[in-house]
Amino acid sequence: MTNACRPSFHGATVLSNTLIAERTWRVEIQVPELARISQPGQFFMVRLPGRTDPLLGRPFALCDVLPDQSGIAIVHMVVGRVTGLLANIQPGDPLEIWGPLGQRFPEPVAGARRVALVAGGIGQTPFLAHVRELLGSQGFGGHAPRRRVETVDFVYGARTANLHAGVDSFRDAGAIVHLATDDGSAGIHGRVTDVLSGLEKPDHVFGCGPEPMLHALAKQCVAMGIPCHLSLETPMACGLGICYSCVVKVRDDTSASGWDYRRVCIDGPTFAASDLVDFVSADRD
Amino acid sequence: MSQAPHSLATRLGRLLLPNPILVASGTFGYAREMDGVINLSRLGGIVPKTVTMAPRVGNPPPRTVETSSGMLNAIGLDNDGLDHFLDHHLPYLRTVGCPIILNFAAKAEAEFPQMAQKASKVEGLSALELNLSCPNVAGGIDFATRPEACERAVRSCRDACPDLPILAKLTPAVTDIVAVAQAAAAGGADAVSLVNTFPGLVIDWKRRRPFLGNGVGGLSGPAIKPLALRCVWNVARACPGLPIVGIGGIGCIDDVMDYLVSGASAVQMGTVNFYDPCAAIRVIEALPEALATLGVATVAQAVGAACGWKPQG
Ligand SMILES: Cc1cc2nc3c(=O)[nH]c(=O)nc-3n(C[C@H](O)[C@H](O)[C@H](O)COP(=O)(O)OP(=O)(O)OC[C@H]3O[C@@H](n4cnc5c(N)ncnc54)[C@H](O)[C@@H]3O)c2cc1C
Ligand SMILES: Cc1cc2nc3c(=O)[nH]c(=O)nc-3n(C[C@H](O)[C@H](O)[C@H](O)COP(=O)(O)O)c2cc1C
Ligand code: FES
Repeated sequence: MTNACRPSFHGATVLSNTLIAERTWRVEIQVPELARISQPGQFFMVRLPGRTDPLLGRPFALCDVLPDQSGIAIVHMVVGRVTGLLANIQPGDPLEIWGPLGQRFPEPVAGARRVALVAGGIGQTPFLAHVRELLGSQGFGGHAPRRRVETVDFVYGARTANLHAGVDSFRDAGAIVHLATDDGSAGIHGRVTDVLSGLEKPDHVFGCGPEPMLHALAKQCVAMGIPCHLSLETPMACGLGICYSCVVKVRDDTSASGWDYRRVCIDGPTFAASDLVDFVSADRD
Repeated sequence: MSQAPHSLATRLGRLLLPNPILVASGTFGYAREMDGVINLSRLGGIVPKTVTMAPRVGNPPPRTVETSSGMLNAIGLDNDGLDHFLDHHLPYLRTVGCPIILNFAAKAEAEFPQMAQKASKVEGLSALELNLSCPNVAGGIDFATRPEACERAVRSCRDACPDLPILAKLTPAVTDIVAVAQAAAAGGADAVSLVNTFPGLVIDWKRRRPFLGNGVGGLSGPAIKPLALRCVWNVARACPGLPIVGIGGIGCIDDVMDYLVSGASAVQMGTVNFYDPCAAIRVIEALPEALATLGVATVAQAVGAACGWKPQG
């Protein structure tokens, strides 16, 4: 699968920066060129201009396309240097952004009626646009809105209730929201995989979140025979496919070892769980 | 602008380039990734990612980590081998419209001429760049730390591929880079590419282990520019007839001019492609005005313009 649109680089302007949960910010960025062509599952590299420390851009998922197509929204959690600095940006501040990067989410399997989107922590970010697309409330990349499935279950785990960000936006977008927390402060006291076991069996699962969670989800879906795609968040230096830093082991029957390293930024970030050899093999975790 | 169009052309021994701005090996993939992102045909040249004779999976992740104004990498020459490059990447690269310089590394000395000979038989390459200095592969650095080994490797490639210009890419991790550059010249190199990354380490003290999957790595980016520039300067002053390709921390037109006046006839831009993918094109556009500011009409007149400097007193 290839994207017709090539990435482009933009000097953009911050429209708004809003705290939506503990350490979690929604940043709206004015960049109509990218708003028009970006699709759910794709991402951007964002960089603070005019400085070499921090040096590199950081990858963030497309979270939302603004309804007037004037820009896009990312949602990020403060975990380090760039996200720490991003927390202080103001409307009107400049940002450098390039994208759209990576492949969009694949379409749900033919005949799917029910899709589950399973998020761990800040891994929720690619799913808001995805819900809007699946339920046909918004079209992306110049395509008219089209309802793809009847039901979207959004399973959203976090350590604690204060970290659940933008839950109402998912409800407003039409998803059935199922929360889980490690400490029981919201939703069920447990893991997203526990929630998933209790739901009506989905026809297709999409997951994004910390790797241990994705490993568990991959194994669960393989065991239950549910097609599953996982969106990965490996560290990236370029997002463009030119540095070879973002690799993950992907099944490759032509290679003697049975796998080869593939670049998450251009071959992913979403892969079929069954192709991620370290995620589905029994000797891990 | 009243610059003649040829004023940006530059020469590296037998290799004539339309302008002195190249993109560095390992920092531009195989160029196809950047098709449509920037106008590749405007580049002075493209050096694709290093190829080896046999495919290599590369190092386990994490393969890169950011440092103060730089980054450390240990990719480990992840590539599908020379035959795959010639069959799958070269046909595309031939269509790009700028000079293509094949960069390769060898595991053992005998592999250098074998690879050079294969390269001599194909269409579409403008030159060879010998990666004598990859720090992330066992043994990879040896060819550029011992002058005799460097000279032998270059000569064997020159003999095996007499018709293509040869650039010898050196490591800065030596006591006397001038001696290695002279050895490369003695072996028949048309130019030396200075420099590859500086060996470095990022440690994660809480986990009591190096951050990168490979342990140590190579440092690049703005942080290394003064260190790399000094290598160029020293070699330029010691080896006046030897063309130099300056590499290390170049991100803007001022960086390019710094290298040219310090003795580089061309430059390669590396890490900047990751964080400012349009930088190379912007620099090419800014070059005529910078040459005019320097009071020269051609790139050749800028090369080494500072090299006559002597300390006062
Ligand atoms: C495709 C993709 C999409 C993504 N989407 C989102 C998103 O929508 N929202 C979001 O919040 N995140 C997202 N991420 C993750 C996000 O890119 C990272 O959280 C971000 O890059 C962190 O940048 P930072 O500068 O704040 O952190 P950094 O300072 O770079 O640190 C990142 C982490 O690495 C560790 N680290 C870094 N350097 C060192 C070192 N020298 N020694 C030890 N540890 C070190 C830090 O402790 C920290 O945990 C995505 C990632 C990918 C690949
Ligand atoms: C991620 C990365 C991968 C690299 N891979 C190669 C390589 O395969 N072969 C090579 O000769 N140099 C390689 N280099 C070195 C660069 O070509 C260049 O010499 C070095 O990065 C210094 O230039 P810079 O500071 O502009 O990046 C690599 C550098 C980086 C950052
Ligand atoms: S982030 Fe550079 S190749 Fe993927």
